[in-house]
Amino acid sequence: MSAEQLLSSVPHADTIIVADLEAGIGTLTRLPEQAVEHTLVVVEPTPRSIDVGMRAVAVATEREQGHVTVLASKVADDADDARVRTAFADHDVVTIPTDPIVVNADRQGLSPMDLDASAPAVEAIGSLVGQLTQ
Amino acid sequence: MIRIAFAGKGGAGKSSISGTFARLLARRDRPVLAVDSDPLPGMAYSLGIPVDDRPAPDDVVVEGPAAGPRWVLRPGLDANGFIDQYAAAGPDDVRYLQFGNSWGHWSTLQRGQHAWSQVVKEMDPAAWNVVGDLPGGTRQAMFGWAKYADVLALVVEPTPKSIQVGRGLRNITKADWSPAHVVVVANRITGPYDVRRIHEALERPVIGAIPFDEAVTAADKRGRSPLDEGPSSFVDAVEELVTAAEFSYDEAGSQQTDGIA
Amino acid sequence: MRVAVVGKGGSGKTSVSGIFARALARAGHHVVGLDCDTNPNLGLSLGVGDMETERLLSLRDQIDEGEQSHAHTWEDILEAYGTDAPDGVRLTVVNRIDDPEPD
Repeated sequence: MSAEQLLSSVPHADTIIVADLEAGIGTLTRLPEQAVEHTLVVVEPTPRSIDVGMRAVAVATEREQGHVTVLASKVADDADDARVRTAFADHDVVTIPTDPIVVNADRQGLSPMDLDASAPAVEAIGSLVGQLTQ
Repeated sequence: MIRIAFAGKGGAGKSSISGTFARLLARRDRPVLAVDSDPLPGMAYSLGIPVDDRPAPDDVVVEGPAAGPRWVLRPGLDANGFIDQYAAAGPDDVRYLQFGNSWGHWSTLQRGQHAWSQVVKEMDPAAWNVVGDLPGGTRQAMFGWAKYADVLALVVEPTPKSIQVGRGLRNITKADWSPAHVVVVANRITGPYDVRRIHEALERPVIGAIPFDEAVTAADKRGRSPLDEGPSSFVDAVEELVTAAEFSYDEAGSQQTDGIA
Repeated sequence: MRVAVVGKGGSGKTSVSGIFARALARAGHHVVGLDCDTNPNLGLSLGVGDMETERLLSLRDQIDEGEQSHAHTWEDILEAYGTDAPDGVRLTVVNRIDDPEPD
C-alpha cells in the first residue's frame, strides 16, 4: 500500500504512527482528507523553506489533516525565530534551535537521541510529546 | 553548448549551486536557459529572479491528440516562441523557465508541466546552454525529467542520507535516455576526508568540491542569491565547477544530444 | 493517533520524525515510525544503523522491481517491511509509491 492508502486504513487507537512524508507537498496533496490527527510542518528560517511551509499549511488545513503545528527548525538567533513566527502568526510554532549534536549525528548516520538526549534540539522536540498527547 | 542538470537529496544545495552556476556560465558564454522542473520555488532565489507563481496563461496549451500527451503547445507556438514570450529574464541575461504554479489547482500545474516538458524537448540544442534543477530525491530524475542533459551532476553532502540518495540516482544510467555523464559535486565540505568519503561511496568522478560557507546560509535567510551577497568561497568553488564542466566538454568534443532530449 | 511530518527537503523533517518517535516511546507510548520516502532513511534518525537502513532500502527496491510481493495488510507490512528501533519503536517503510507525474 502507498502512504496515502496506509494512513487512512492503519489501526491507530493504541499506537502513535509518526509518518515521515516525502519532501515537498506532493504526498500531502494526495492524502485523503482527515487522514491524520496532527500535521507537523518543519520549516527552516529561510524564505524558500517558509514558502514551502506555507503551502503545506494551506493544503493541510484545506484537507483537514488535524491540528497543524509549525516547527521552526535550525533556529540560530532571534531574527530566525521571528522570521518563522511572523510568517505563521496564526499557528502554534515550536522552536528547534540549531544544534551541533544533530549536525554531528547526521554526519555519522546516528540518532541524536543516542549522542545526547539532553541536547537542546532533542529537548525542544521532546516538549512536543506533552503538547500532542494531552 | 553545455547541458547540465543537478540532482540530489532535498536540501543538498542543488538550487543554490545550479542558479549560481547558470549565472556564472552566462558571464562566460551566452545564452543560458535555466530550467527548473520543481513546482516549488528554489532556483529563482539563487538566480536572483523574483519568485513568480503565475503560470503561463491557459491558452499556451491546447488538448493534445488522443494518443499523445494531454496538453500540447497551441498551434503557432513553438519552443523558441514559448521561451521568447514566457521565460523570465534575470541577472546576467539568464532566461528562466519554471514548472509553474503549485498554489493553483492541480490541472494548472499539469498544463505547465506539459508545456515545459515539450519546450525542453523541442528547443534548438545548438542555441542554448541549459542548466537545470531537479527536485530533491530520485523520483523526477528517474522519470526522465533530465532528458535534456548531457551531464547529470549529483549534489552530495558528506552524510549517509545524502550519499544514499546519490547512490540511488546512479541508477539513472540504466535508462536508455540517460545523460552521457553522471558526475558528482560534493557540497558543504569541511575537509579532504569528506570528498574522499563521497568519492568512495559514489564511485563517480567528483568534478567539484564546494566548501561549507556561512555566506550561503546568510544569503538563503535573506532570500537572495549568494552571487549578490559579495565574494565567498562558495562562489569561487562554483566558478571552478563551471570551468570543470566546460573543460569536460572540450575534452569530449561537441556534445550534441542527438534528439534524445 | 496519526502524525504526519512534512516540510521542504533538508528542513530536518526526518531528523525531527526520528527524535519525536523516540521521545514518544520514552514517554511510554506505543510508536510506529512510517517511512514514506522514496529514499527511506528514517532508520538512521531512529538509530537502527546504516546496515539495517540499507536492508530496508533494498527491500523497497525489490518491491519496485517485482521481486517481492506487496504486503496487503497493516500487520503484514509491519512484519515484512519493518524492523525494531531503540526504545521499542517499530519502523516500517511503505511499499508502493504513487506516481502522479504526467508522461
